[in-house]
Amino acid sequence: MMHQGHSKSQFVAVASIAAELSAVMNVAKDISLAAANAKAIAFRAGEKAKGFQPITDFINELAKDTIQLVVIINQKALQLYQLTIREHRLAEACEQFENAVALCDAATYADSLTQSLVLVRQRRSECQRQFPHLVAELLALLSDVMHPARAARVIAANSRIEASQAGEYMQSLQAVAESVDNAAQIIHDKVQQCRSALSQIHTDAYFPSTKTFS
Amino acid sequence: MKMHKIYQGGHEWIMFGRDLHKPEKIVDTNQYLVRSADRCLLIDPGGIELFAPMLAAVLHHAPVHEITDLFASHQDPDIISSLGLWDQALPHAKLHAAGLWEGFLRHFGCETIEYVSIPDNGGVISLGSVELQIIPAHYLHASANFNLYDPEAKILFSGDIGAALETPNTPIFVDNFAAHVEKMRYFHQRWMPSNQAKRAWIERVRCLDINILAPQHGRMFKGDDVKRFLDWFEALQVGIAV
Repeated sequence: MMHQGHSKSQFVAVASIAAELSAVMNVAKDISLAAANAKAIAFRAGEKAKGFQPITDFINELAKDTIQLVVIINQKALQLYQLTIREHRLAEACEQFENAVALCDAATYADSLTQSLVLVRQRRSECQRQFPHLVAELLALLSDVMHPARAARVIAANSRIEASQAGEYMQSLQAVAESVDNAAQIIHDKVQQCRSALSQIHTDAYFPSTKTFS
Repeated sequence: MKMHKIYQGGHEWIMFGRDLHKPEKIVDTNQYLVRSADRCLLIDPGGIELFAPMLAAVLHHAPVHEITDLFASHQDPDIISSLGLWDQALPHAKLHAAGLWEGFLRHFGCETIEYVSIPDNGGVISLGSVELQIIPAHYLHASANFNLYDPEAKILFSGDIGAALETPNTPIFVDNFAAHVEKMRYFHQRWMPSNQAKRAWIERVRCLDINILAPQHGRMFKGDDVKRFLDWFEALQVGIAV
């Protein structure tokens, strides 16, 4: 049953996207925490960390933006998962109805199955049409979420410079800059993994290994 | 899939089962179709593995659009794991099943079929001119469990009560009750958890006029064998695993 292999790879890809997104969300929350921590340190440092104070607000904004985008991406990923389940069920129904047609050749009411088979094929085709559009939307959103991650890396670089002028607070603020930089790198990597998994589905959806119905 | 008409009157009962082509490691099951003038009820439609042969067999007796109702005695996969496929084939049908199992049964896929919740005290399924009584059989074996009784045909569909797990070559009616007892004993002792539930069911069912007791596995009981089964089951200690 070829559609099972096809659907299985889709299920695995969509599940792995959900796992990566969950990690992105956690890292974004860590950034938000780091921003709050940095703000407290900068406040205590007073004049010595004057240049650092506005940076903490930027860090916090970037974390918020990332979290908001991940929430939207999660919703889209859930839609993609539901569409995958629907397509899988319809593919199974097509196959089972065709088996029933083959088994009931002499049945009095064999023709009555035709309408159900046509309807299931139509619904499956509709799913297959929707699939690449939804994947494209997700890819675009994942591209968007890379922007705050890139900006966070720039801010981390600036933070290091500002931290170096903060006297006895230098070490604490450099640690903040370091954690933002690491978090941004993790988000970048996780989102790349999502895009890679999605691109695989994208390819499969446009060039399905299973037979399609007109 | 073999087919046997077990009642012909103002309506029909057809039994399906003994599928010689079923996958080896799944249990054989009996499915039943009640056909009235223009509506059909599929009783315990079966597992997902049997969907295509079952649908093909049904098409010998009724067109797809006349299959208006499904009944699931309980939630087991051999009873109703085909639901997601019937859901695609019968978009306007109703599924009559325990309210208690609704959230569970929907895992099999039930988007278009209407789920008609059966309350604990049972109810009625109407197929126009034919009315079937839903008889509670809770804890025999599932916690929410129902039988169906047709007072006109005098048939009681008894679900797992009276079942025996046999090969697909088995006859459809019990022909030697004494010999059949050993095929049922362990199944009933191990699967049925409650002597109290068993006694309540027997008391309820003894009030019914039954010509055929039709289980979901194995052979059906006819005539005097129905009373013999009730007497045997009444004396049997169940729930032996504790």
